[in-house]
Amino acid sequence: MEKNIYAYKCRRCGHVQYPYRTICRNCHENDHNEFDIVPLSKKGKLITFTHLFNPPSDFETVFLTLGIVELDDGNRVTCQLNIPKPKMGMKVTGKVEVVRKDEYNKYHGFVFYED
Amino acid sequence: MAIDLEKILRPIDTPLPEFPAKYMTLAGGEQLVIRQVTRDEIPDILPYVEPLMHVERDYYDVVAARVYSELLAYYNYRVQDEYVLAAQIEGELVAVVNGRIVNKDIGMSLHTLGLRRGLRVGAHTFAAKMEYHIDILGQKEVLIVAESPIGFRRWMIEYKLEKRFEIPHELGGCPSWALTKELFDKARKSLIVGTRPVPEALLAKAKAAILPPSDPPKQAADLLAATRSLYDSTGTILLSQRTKLGGK
Amino acid sequence: MREVYVAGIGITSFTRLEYPLVEIAAYPGLMAMKESGIKSIDQLYVANMGASKANHQTGLASAVVDHMSLTPAGAEAIENGPASGASAIKQGFLGVASGMYNTVMVIGAERMREVNNLEATDFVATLTHPLAEYIYGVTLPSLAGMFARLYMEKYGVTPRHFAMVAVKNHKHAMDNFYAHLHEEITLEGILDSKDSATNNPMVADPLRYYDMCPVSDGGACLILATAEIAKKTGKPMVRLAGIGQATDTHAVHDRKNPTDLLAVREAAKKSFAMAGVKPKDVHVAELHDAFTILEIVESEEVGFFEKGQGHIALQEGYTKLGGKLPINPSGGLKAKGHPVGATGVGQAHEIVLQLRGDAAKRQVKNAKIGFTCNFGGFGNNVVCLTFVKEN
Repeated sequence: MEKNIYAYKCRRCGHVQYPYRTICRNCHENDHNEFDIVPLSKKGKLITFTHLFNPPSDFETVFLTLGIVELDDGNRVTCQLNIPKPKMGMKVTGKVEVVRKDEYNKYHGFVFYED
Repeated sequence: MAIDLEKILRPIDTPLPEFPAKYMTLAGGEQLVIRQVTRDEIPDILPYVEPLMHVERDYYDVVAARVYSELLAYYNYRVQDEYVLAAQIEGELVAVVNGRIVNKDIGMSLHTLGLRRGLRVGAHTFAAKMEYHIDILGQKEVLIVAESPIGFRRWMIEYKLEKRFEIPHELGGCPSWALTKELFDKARKSLIVGTRPVPEALLAKAKAAILPPSDPPKQAADLLAATRSLYDSTGTILLSQRTKLGGK
Repeated sequence: MREVYVAGIGITSFTRLEYPLVEIAAYPGLMAMKESGIKSIDQLYVANMGASKANHQTGLASAVVDHMSLTPAGAEAIENGPASGASAIKQGFLGVASGMYNTVMVIGAERMREVNNLEATDFVATLTHPLAEYIYGVTLPSLAGMFARLYMEKYGVTPRHFAMVAVKNHKHAMDNFYAHLHEEITLEGILDSKDSATNNPMVADPLRYYDMCPVSDGGACLILATAEIAKKTGKPMVRLAGIGQATDTHAVHDRKNPTDLLAVREAAKKSFAMAGVKPKDVHVAELHDAFTILEIVESEEVGFFEKGQGHIALQEGYTKLGGKLPINPSGGLKAKGHPVGATGVGQAHEIVLQLRGDAAKRQVKNAKIGFTCNFGGFGNNVVCLTFVKEN
């Protein structure tokens, strides 16, 4: 079953925000937690990236490729990149996969691939 | 009689090619020269290693004590096929590295000891050692262990060393890792640093004398300083150790 | 509101300190009390970020106030990430300005090297957004790397400019006894020569080893008091004239414009407005260069240079000692060190030293107005201070 990352749509004004905030950033009028969940688009454009050569200790790889992607629906996300030669502005498609594992938990997040 | 006994006790050195000296520019613009030292130069190096045996942090005491014994054994002909490389800046000793040749195909990396605080020569000297084993001596692999966590990350993880856990390394019998010729060739671009040949004047200065390190790692000056504060935050254990050893 | 003056200062070396955290906090406090002759205080604020995580000590301020035998003075710890120092100074200011206290001691202290390097980086990474950033393995260097790449593309800043910041700050620190790094570096050694790839390896491209500040322990102290108490110390009168704080989105990707540091802009504006001065009136500044790119960007956002011109000013030598507007005469975070909680207070310490005329070889001539920028998180919580020398 395909997984999604969800953004939060304000029930009063319709503004979509990601990550979660308890009050709508746009209208400030909603009731605490008054949001509908909407899945984030999986397609977007790569805004910036880096190769981190000193990743945290629970990553056993030599380096980690991280990036910020601007999605087609206007939201931006931080993500891991599975792209050997990233370029600013390149079109990318994302999948929700396991991005980090510590002793007891698996964390799911966006990994983007070249289009 | 004594001479005959010495003949039995002394291992016969396998003739090995010398490490061709190389030099490189450091972050501060200074020139670092890495060259092989002969047995005769060992007594010049020993007094600079000795004080580090008493610096109780970052495993300096363990590494310095082991290096001291390895250098002394090399000088007194009691170790088989050891080599010692020294890194110098303006003649001043800033690092000592050593290793051993186990057989034609396998080398045993021993230690890397930095003698100037804050100078990052570990990467340069480790690369020089590996180059000696694989390129110059033509060996197939080098067995390595790391005494410190930073060493582990930079060598074992970064160069993807192969596990040879069934072979106990000479340093304390710990499970060994290996840098093979294939891994070395893959990492060649980042691993081989420095230039040859060393300009004559620079090499002559390095060979003329091995000068004392100007800023070596030192023990903490104050009696109240604690090395592992989680367990001894008031320095009491350190204080009582010093009193026992006859210090203040 | 009453006017608030700096009555005493103290600092430890920023380096690897093998003393317990409470000692690192107490020492600069004692130095400040000694130099000012002040024997008792009304309130103590301790700025610190990692005591509960890395040093296993909560309630740090209570521990320090007793360690220094200053009880029954009130004491509180202030945690605002890397901006803890300036935030604590802000609290101290409010205490004296409101009339509630007459003498407030502000100490910043951090002992990051109690844990190993990987744990220290991880504890700083905990200030990122837990769901949108932390789970991806994002650490502060990676955020700086992504930001630097954007800045390079938009404004033409190059790795050479980053290296220039590092070389400048290292040079300044050579004259600073308390600095962590006393290492003169050259552009040749860290960028030009073929050995630079080993001397200066990539950490989060385009940022390299010499673009990142070291992991340091250290402490610094400022005693804030009323005008009469400050006058009694006999030292030149330095007034804390302006404070500004502003925040921005938690997740870096959420910023309105990915190359703007709006929190810096806003906080600096507020600080200058309160002090009644303009950016061009500033004689000396300490900016938060945890990553070399940040010194360039902050110098633009606070108003010293036009946006996109900071690297040109750096190139022309404006910002080194002897230039038109020396930035980070102490060596900045890059060379002086970055004990997270103590940094803000350390920056203030340097500015006060400059305005008093006590900075010896690092002295900026006739410095009368000084400015600090303490950058929390990755630009989501910034506190700026303006100090003015009075006759």
